[in-house]
Amino acid sequence: MPLDAIPVVVINSSENPATVDNSLSGNAPVLLREIAELANRLLATGEASAIDLRALPLTPADLDWLRETLGQGQVSATLEAEGESILSETVCPGVWWVTHHNENGAVVSEFIEVTYVPELLQAHPDDVKIGLEHLELLISDLS
Amino acid sequence: MQGPLIDTLARQGVTRRTFMKYCATLASMMALPPAAGRAMAEAMAAAPAASKRPSVIWLPFQECTGCTESITRSHSPSLEGLIFDAISLDYQETLMAAAGHQAEEALHAAMKENEGKYLLVIDGSIPLGLDGAYSCIAGKSNLESLKEAAKGAAAIVAMGSCAAFGGIPKANPNPTGAVSVSDIIKDKPIINIPGCPPIPVVMTGVLAHFLTFGSLPELDSKGRPKAFYGETIHDRCYRRPFYDQGKFAKTFDDEGARNGWCLFELGCKGPVTYNACATVKWNGGTSWPVESGHGCLGCSEPDFWDAGGFYKALSMPADPLKMASTAAIVGAAAGVAVSFANRGKKSAAKSAHETTTLADLEK
Repeated sequence: MPLDAIPVVVINSSENPATVDNSLSGNAPVLLREIAELANRLLATGEASAIDLRALPLTPADLDWLRETLGQGQVSATLEAEGESILSETVCPGVWWVTHHNENGAVVSEFIEVTYVPELLQAHPDDVKIGLEHLELLISDLS
Repeated sequence: MQGPLIDTLARQGVTRRTFMKYCATLASMMALPPAAGRAMAEAMAAAPAASKRPSVIWLPFQECTGCTESITRSHSPSLEGLIFDAISLDYQETLMAAAGHQAEEALHAAMKENEGKYLLVIDGSIPLGLDGAYSCIAGKSNLESLKEAAKGAAAIVAMGSCAAFGGIPKANPNPTGAVSVSDIIKDKPIINIPGCPPIPVVMTGVLAHFLTFGSLPELDSKGRPKAFYGETIHDRCYRRPFYDQGKFAKTFDDEGARNGWCLFELGCKGPVTYNACATVKWNGGTSWPVESGHGCLGCSEPDFWDAGGFYKALSMPADPLKMASTAAIVGAAAGVAVSFANRGKKSAAKSAHETTTLADLEK
């Protein structure tokens, strides 16, 4: 018997445990000041930094509030690496919202990065060298 | 395997970006600052060629191989498994191709070559009864093997609850006289990774820490890495709000159970169990015991097998019979009668497909 032949009945789906703790804790607004501090540091020293959103006592509602408040900027990049990663700039240039998913689509980690370009998006010199070798191969094939 | 780890990974189709993402997530799970993720990625990507990789010797004692199963069945074999390429696993009975004399030779060669530098991983407890005759490898008792291998180790990882605390072999009445690694070895740093079995990422995390920073992570009073065993299951449980509201499931199929309420009254040991199941979860982040509707058994705590019953709430006395020994004698005859009556009721319930109650499970 195939698995999907077994009927699945969802009882009390409105009481999904994932939506239980969905009130604002008051911890999100203070993060804006920390992000501002990190942006100041970026301008002054060029040093990039990150906040691990999983390490903070934030409820799903807090995260939603923060995401909404910071807004969606012009850039959004998707990285396919053992699951999808989304790196999108907020309306504050230099402030990025980074979400890593695993192969099953679950969020495995979430960061706010304050940087001109997230390191993950930049190509590593060693990888550029490998790309160059490939290019040369393509060029030699032309003749 | 030659060259830095990143080249090995590339050959397996793992890109630098995938690896960086993995390290960022690993650092987050270990409660390390985000910058540590980058440090880990850099250090491990450049992990030296084969000849210099740290040697790891893994000895199985009185165990069920569940710990090895857990580690090797980690959900992203392309990554977690490949972290093992950064080490040289010189002896692991279940995984190695060699057997018999060849295996023993590999073990002794690795111990001699890397003296004072290798990481010793132990899974399983050590039986002391009958001069250790309960568990022997190549004619040697586990006690002898452990002492011999520990002598030249830089540090010892006690993998799983048996090696860390004695585990199920040590459960009352402990017929083999089982003890933990730390009961025997006193002069080496020991890191305990308890759990029955332990979570794969904990092992990977400890290895990554060892490779990146050249040291073992910070440990708690029971020798467990604080990064993973710093908080109780209860602290990080998604059902915690229901506990705070006083909403409890009373049986496994009542309204409360269907609503996903707190499992405390069904015997959940979450409040006294330090482990990372609630955050890291199992099977590639799919689920974990409490999420699938069963309370925590407390498997990463010492003597969890004898903690008084998996389905007894923590607030109930562990063993009421011991606490009232005189009453037990007086009530013994009555007790036997009740127990027979209960047994009858239980089998009757089974044949009629009736609901099994909590009291039935405790009989």
